[in-house]
Order: sequence, then C-alpha cells, then structure tokens
Amino acid sequence: MEIKPIFLSIKHNKAIAMLVIIQVAITLTVLSGSLLLTTSTLKEWNLPSGIPHYNIISAVPEFYDLEVDVRQSLIDDLARIKAIPEVINVSPATQRPFDAQGIQTIYLEASDEAQEYETNIFTGDANLPEVLQLSLIEGRFFREDEIVVGQRDELPAMPPIVMISEAMAKVLFPDNNALGQTIWLEKGAAPAEIIGIYSNFMNGENLNYFGQSYRTILQPLVTWQNRADPSYLIRVEDGMADGLLETIRNQLYKVDGRYVNRVEVLTRTQKRMYDGRGSHAIMLLVISSVLLLITAFGMAGLVSFLVTQRQKQIGTRRALGAKKWDVVRYFMLENGVLTTIGIVIGLVLSIAFAFVLTEDSGVNILDMSYIFATAFFIILVNQLAVYLPAKKAANVAPAIVTRSA
Amino acid sequence: MFAYNLKLAFKSLNDRPSLTILMVAAIAVGLGLFMTMLTLSHQAGKIPMPHISKQIHLVQLDNREVTADEAENFNQMVDLTYQDTQNLLKLPSSGVEQTLAWNTNGILNVEEQEIQPQRSSVVATNQAFFTMFEVPFLYGKGWDSDADQFSQAVIVLSKKSNDYLFGGINSVGKQVRLNTHVLTVIGVLDDWFLARKFYDRSYYQAWPDQAFIPSNFAFDSDLPRNARFDCWSTTTNPGKFRTNYLTELKTSECAWITFWAKLPNHNLEDYKTQLGQYIDSQKRLGRFPRENQYFLTNINDQLEVISKMIGREQMLGVISYMFFAVCLINAVSILLAKFMRRTKEVSLRRALGAKKRTILQQHLIEVVFIGIIGGLFGILFSYIGLQAMLRVSLYASDYVRTAADLMPYHQMDWEMIMMAFTVSVSCTLLVGLYPIWRICNVSPASQLKAQ
Amino acid sequence: MLKMENVSKIYRTNLIETHALRKVDLHIGAGEFVSVTGPSGSGKTTFLNLAGLLETFEEGDFYLDGQNVKGLNDNQLSELRNEKIGFIFQSFNLLPELPLFDNVDVPLRYRGFNAKERKDRIENALEIVGLSSRMQHLPTQLSGGQQQRVAIARAIAGQPKFLLADEPTGNLDSLMAQQVMELLEKINQQGTTIIMVTHDDQLARRSHRNIQIFDGQVSDLAQDQTDVLIKSE
Repeated sequence: MEIKPIFLSIKHNKAIAMLVIIQVAITLTVLSGSLLLTTSTLKEWNLPSGIPHYNIISAVPEFYDLEVDVRQSLIDDLARIKAIPEVINVSPATQRPFDAQGIQTIYLEASDEAQEYETNIFTGDANLPEVLQLSLIEGRFFREDEIVVGQRDELPAMPPIVMISEAMAKVLFPDNNALGQTIWLEKGAAPAEIIGIYSNFMNGENLNYFGQSYRTILQPLVTWQNRADPSYLIRVEDGMADGLLETIRNQLYKVDGRYVNRVEVLTRTQKRMYDGRGSHAIMLLVISSVLLLITAFGMAGLVSFLVTQRQKQIGTRRALGAKKWDVVRYFMLENGVLTTIGIVIGLVLSIAFAFVLTEDSGVNILDMSYIFATAFFIILVNQLAVYLPAKKAANVAPAIVTRSA
Repeated sequence: MFAYNLKLAFKSLNDRPSLTILMVAAIAVGLGLFMTMLTLSHQAGKIPMPHISKQIHLVQLDNREVTADEAENFNQMVDLTYQDTQNLLKLPSSGVEQTLAWNTNGILNVEEQEIQPQRSSVVATNQAFFTMFEVPFLYGKGWDSDADQFSQAVIVLSKKSNDYLFGGINSVGKQVRLNTHVLTVIGVLDDWFLARKFYDRSYYQAWPDQAFIPSNFAFDSDLPRNARFDCWSTTTNPGKFRTNYLTELKTSECAWITFWAKLPNHNLEDYKTQLGQYIDSQKRLGRFPRENQYFLTNINDQLEVISKMIGREQMLGVISYMFFAVCLINAVSILLAKFMRRTKEVSLRRALGAKKRTILQQHLIEVVFIGIIGGLFGILFSYIGLQAMLRVSLYASDYVRTAADLMPYHQMDWEMIMMAFTVSVSCTLLVGLYPIWRICNVSPASQLKAQ
Repeated sequence: MLKMENVSKIYRTNLIETHALRKVDLHIGAGEFVSVTGPSGSGKTTFLNLAGLLETFEEGDFYLDGQNVKGLNDNQLSELRNEKIGFIFQSFNLLPELPLFDNVDVPLRYRGFNAKERKDRIENALEIVGLSSRMQHLPTQLSGGQQQRVAIARAIAGQPKFLLADEPTGNLDSLMAQQVMELLEKINQQGTTIIMVTHDDQLARRSHRNIQIFDGQVSDLAQDQTDVLIKSE
C-alpha cells in the first residue's frame, strides 16, 4: 500500500537505511556461503553402510620382525580369533569398509584407450561376504578352493574371478547383465570373470566424496607384503563388539615380532570417515545461527530506535486515523523494503562468494535454491524481529500530538 | 569536567542496561569469533625458529629431464637424489652446515613386556640436524659424524617417546628396538615446539616425530622410505622404492630427500657458486640435462608460498571477518538507539551551557568503556572459541593428535590480547562515530520547544 | 453535533489522582465555531484529546455525531477519528519526509479511498488553502503559515464534520495568523464544525461561542453573553 511514503522516509534516514541494507547483504552472503559449504560438505554424508558395522571389528596388526612366518601366523590368528566364542566369522582383509585406501582403476577391455572406471578392491577369503553380511543378488560367492594365498610379489597368478557390488555392476554394465562378464583390474594383466553380484556397502572417503560410495570389487585373495600384513575383519555377536576389542588384541599379540596397530569397531572407522566434514559443517552452522540471531537483535534494536525517533510521527498518523495495525504494518513494510534491497545486493555478493569458494575448492557448490531459501529465511526472521518493537510503536498514544499545546 | 563526564558516562551505561549489554554482547561475540580466527592464523603463520629461519635454506637442484615443466618456485621443484645429497655433503665446506632428512617409520619397543610397542614416525638424518636447527636436549646429545659415517645404531628420542618407553628417566645408553633393530639411546629431546614442521616439508602443525636416527643406519636397515619419488618418466612405478630396490634408488635420478643448508649472509654467495660449480661438474658426467637451475629457499620464503595454499581455514577467516562486520553494524544501531534516547537531555545540557566538546567527551568515554568491556568479553569468547576449535581438531583427527601438541596453536599470546583490545576499542570508536556525531549536533533548543 | 454528558477524565499515578476534567456537560451544535480558552494546566488539552478521540475517559457519555463513543475499541476510535475529525496542531505535525501532496494523502489512505478520489481531494484541499502549486515541496521548504495551511488542507481533505484546532496560530506571526483564521472561518461557513483551543482572547472573540476551562471545570459562555457563567454541575 504505502510504498511511496516508505521510500520517502528511507530517503530521509539514509544512514539507518544503509545500516540495514549492508547488514542484510552481508548476513545473506555469510549465511548462504556457509549453507552452500555445509551442504557440499555434507553431501554423501552418513550414507547407509550396507553392513552391520556395529557388529564388525577390524584389527590391523603389522610385523616389525621380518623373520616371522606370516603364512603360519595367519593360520594361527584365524584359529585363535575363531576360538573366541562370541566371534561369528572372520576374514583376512587388506581394505576395511569406510577406510578404503587409494582409488583403483579398472577397465572393460584390454586396449589402451579403454574407458577407466574407479573403484575400491577389497580382498579376503571365502568368509568375507559372511563377515560383512552381504547378500547375494546374482551368481555365487567364492568357494574355499578359489582363494589365492601368498606374499604379494610371489603370487603365481591373480585370481581369475571377482565379485562386484550392485552399484558397480550398474556402472559397468548399465544395460547388460554383469554376471559372467570379464573386467581388467590392471592394464596388461589377465582379465577376471564376474561370478557374483552382492549388495552394496560403503567403500571409503575417497570415492564417497565423488558420489561413488558403493563401488566395490571383492577379490578372493589373501596376501601380504613386507609389513603390509593382512588385517582382519571380524563379525561378532550383536552388542558384543566393544567388549571384545581387548580380547582380540591379546590374541594377536600371541605372535611375537608384531605390533597391533589398531583394533576397533567399524563404527569408529565410520566416525573417522565422516568426522572432519561433520565437524566443519557443524562449526559453520553454529556460526551461521549465531549470526542470524545477532542480525535479528540488530533489526529489533534499530526498529526500537526508529520508534523512539518517530514517536511524534506515529502519534500524528494515529490522530489522523491510523489503526494500530497500520502502524505495525508500516514498520514491517519499511523493514521489508530495506531487507529486500539488502537481499538483492546480498544475492550478487553470495553468487560471487560462491564462485570464489567454487574456485577454491574445485567443487561447484553454487545452488541458487539454497541462496533463495536463505534470503527468504532472512526476510522472515527480520519481519519477526521487527514485529515486537513495531507492536510497541503502535502503542504510542495518539494524544502525544497535542502535547506541544 | 572530565570527572563529571566520567560520572555521566557511567550513569548512562547503567541507564538502559539492556541496551548496554546488547551492545557489549554484539561486540564481544563478533570479536570472539574474529579473534579466534585471527589467533589461529596468527599462530599458524608463525615461523619456526624465527631467529635463524632466514639462514636455513632448502636446497633443490633441478636434475629433471629436459621435457619437465618449468618450476616457478620451490614448491614445484623436486628435492635431491641420494647421490646429490652425498656429493653435497662432501663439498669442501667453508663452515656451512648441511643436513638431509627423510621420513620413515617403525615400531619402537623395549625389552619390558608391559610396555606395548608403539608405531612411531622417525626422521632419518645426520648429525648436523641437531646443531643446525638448535634442537633442545633434555638428556644426552645428538650423534657425532662417526655415527653417520659408520651407520651406528644410535637414536635420539622425543621427550614423549622417552616418557612412554622409559618413564621419563635419563635413558641415554639404554637400548631400544626399532622393529627388530637394536639401537642405543644417545639423546632425549626436550619439548621442541616448531610452529610448523618444516624439515620434511610437510609444514604440519602438531604432528611431532617420535625419534631421529642416522640416515645411513636407516638405509642399512632398509627401513621404509616415506617419500614422494620424483623420477624421470623412464622409471616405472616409483612407489616401489618405498620398501624395495634401494640399490637402484641410490643410483637413480629419483629425487626424494629434503636437504638443508644453514647459510648466514656472508656464506650465501659462496654457496651459490659452489652449487653452480657442482651442477657443471655433474653435467660433464652426463647428468643435469636442463639449464642450470637450483632453488635456495629460506624458511620464511617457503612459508610465504605455502600459506597461500591453505584453504579451509582461510574461508572460515573470511566468514569471521564478515561476521564481525555484521556485529559492528549492529552495534551502530544499538548505540544510535541508546544515544538518541537522550536527545532531550543533551539538548537541555546544551541549553544550560554544555559545549559540544563536553558532550563529545562524555559520549567518547562511554564508547571507549563499552569497547574495553567488549574487549574483555571478546577475549573470553575467543578463549572459548579456541578451546572449541581445539576440541574440533581433536575430534576430527580421531584423537590421534594430543591436546598438548595442539595447544600452542589455540592459545592467545600477549600480542593477540593487546590486539583484541585495540580492535575492540578502535572498532567501537568507529561504530560510535555516527551516533556520537548525531548526538553532538543536537541543537540546544530543538527539543525544549516541544516540551 | 457533539454532546458530552458528565464526562470525567482522571489521570492516575501510583501516588495521586488528578482530575483533569470533572463532570463536563457540553453540547456543540453542527456548524458552530467554538473557542476553548483557559489558563495553562486547566485541562484544555485534555478536553481536546477527549473531543478528538485521542484519549478515552472513565465516566460519562460522549456522543459524536449522534454516536456514543464510550466503550469503542481502538480500531473503531481510529476509524471514527479518521472519518469525522480533522486536526490542526500548534506545531503543524506535518511528516517532514513527505511532500505536501503525500502529507495530505495520509488520512485519505487510512480512509481507504481509491487513487483517483484521493488525488481529487488532495488537489481540491490544497487549492482551498492556496498551495496547489507547491504540491511536491517538502514541509521544510515552506514558511510556518504555509505549513499550517497544509495542515488545514490535510484536516479538511477527508471532509470531516469536525475540525479540532489546537492553538492553530500559536507558532505564527500575526499576519500569518490572520490568514489562517480567515481560512478557518471560510471552512466553517461551508458547514464544518470547528472547535479551537486557544489562549488568545482576540482569536476567541472571533468564534461564535467561547468555552472556558478552569481547573478541569468547563464554563460554557455563549458569544453574546460573555459574563454569564454556567456551572457544568
């Protein structure tokens, strides 16, 4: 309604108008920047693991005595761990869910120009699917006799078969059935046949960050090299995991010349995978909410200032027939106009800020819907902040106008 | 007059306590975050060993193949090959100290069964390391040149490792095992705080190494070489050198060892000449196919390049500046509200003979006081903020780093505390500029007529 | 017409009660030009506030244009004020940031007239006060007398039945005061009831009737029987 008088009044109070506009613009920039960063940080955050990770323990021992017979101690380790009554199953492993190191490149053909696919390869014996409680979607699991065991650089040949996850199958063979197809895990090496497809599980941070969380390959392989000994994945009975860490550590220490680096429940591994991003995001969110609070307080303060400044004017308007609601509406509308101008400037700044951030991080984080949502939210908060002092303004007695008499 | 104004200023602070509190809060919260980020970057920007940092130079020789990319600064340049480190160490030196360093790791363990072995990061280096970098010793000292020459099995432990393995006693002469190798403790470091771990070019904060051993011993024991191997393109899979192929590595053109020279000013030119001559002599042997190029970069210059590459914290920094700006703008409105409530009073005072100057003084005192209080609370808030950041760092490192190691980076020093007060008072003055200007220009009569 | 029966206004603080107006009985007919006089603190302003519906009262009945305003809520009072009453203040009370046009526009907005009607009324009102050429000027660009004429234009633009003038010439020099008075008389002649509060006997004499207030009590003096004092009780 009375947009024009509001503009005239803003023109009259340039300093205050500037304060509001700048404040809104910066608030929008900071808030939307934080929000964009947060969402991009938390993208792919805390996805389902696909496995009962709370019941799985990973143990990472390493040998510092190179004279130790690794093959024998592997057999002993497995026997000792299996002997623990609460242990359901155990498999040697070189990678752990949530913690897959490095990204491996695989191919669908042997040629030099073959398209590259990124994945994480998990190795283990025939018990691995059972340890991770993977369900079979197609084909079959590995058999005991298909497991290749040995020191890495002395292996006669890599296993000729692999299993792949459902997600991996979809990527590699979007149109065909993956079962029975062959893939190359290394250029120039012999291909491997896909004998089974299993349910998805989380690989690790590296691929997760690129939105490729569930691309995995299982290889029937138990291998070690120098100090890179096989670690173990152990599934235990429900709720027993935490209590078993020490027992397992002690069992592993029964072999001399070894250091047990880490025995932990996969929940901790999972936490480690996400905690950097999580804490960063939470920090940004805390800062943003405090900022919003401060902006709201500032708005409320400004309007109460304006109210004291304009007592007489409000009284005059009331005397001329303005209802209380007209006064409240006037202030809310005035704030709305200023906020909107600030928002427009803030939008430009936000987009620029998002571009800078994008350039810095290399990930495109610009998403207008978030910026608009933030803008809307700021308008809402400001209107709320203005409402209370405006209500107070409406209580200015109209009789104030005759006081000069 | 001043005393009277002081009284008025305090009265005015008490007058509308909610506005005063709001104003102080706005400044303190903004300052708190601002100082948190400023302290972090202040501490992170600190230069290790500032009194000698300009003498400590990273030495890099461009042994790369002809087709390699041009390097603009040290960060794009390769380190040294094994053979070059050996040759440079043998240079007819004129009092120039040189050291090399590379990272390895192993399991530190002792005979006592109850002390579990510990995975440790270990630096392989030479005797000059300790004198060049003025490493503080609690017990014993660094090894001598014989130990380097004869690959003696000696080890210098960090204070923390000594505490863990030996309960903090003087362990010099005692034996410790690194994996299966038995070494004699020759020295124990005292607390050695490095603002950034420069010597392995990681520039890490709060990731101290646990032990130091002679490089030649590390080679003889074939300990893992945790380095990036910059090899010529003819070398396939350079990663293999990590645990294998030591003999091939030693004669290869793979650069991977960081090399340092302590060059007081008067030595710099001589050293440069020597490097030039060395490269020439190697050219005659068919090495160094590129134009003569070497980098001598002191620690200050290194950090300048490195500090430009640290992203995430800077982003938070930018956000904290903007955050502070919003808080200040807020403070302007609150102060305006606070002052303009007094228009009538000021107008009356003016009518009764108060000069503009007096009014100005009264309000300046009030603003400065708010600034000081805001500064105090701001420091309190930044203390809390720094503690929170410390917890976040601990959490995010899954408690691998220790609070004690991180503490120096999350601590305000006097410089920062003074800074906080300066920023607080000057920003409040800035904030007060407009409101004070407004209140000082209240005309003596304007408000009286309306009464 | 305006009729007050037994109207009292009491200001209460924690310590004391002040009877600002005591049991006022008063009748002002349509088209009258009434002046209200009395010394400072006598209750003139309170009377004006009550008559202008700016304040509420505790006791008695008040009929404005036949409607009893007692017990009306704030919104109803605002509407009534807007429709029936025009105000003219000693200090003009123009909104400083608005040009004349928009100042006159303020009550019309609250009235809810459409744009065309508002424009017509504003131009007409400013025409009457002789300021139509300065529609886009700001109040500060005008002299005091001109400002008061704008205030008058604002007061009459909505064609209210009553015009309440509070020391309309108090801040003006005599020449300007003369012009403003002539303007008010002209408006009165066109049928608007005018109630003017003033301490100036000269001005009061130009009204049809004079009401005196002493210590919260109203004495209604007909213009032609100046010395007769009718107690309100």
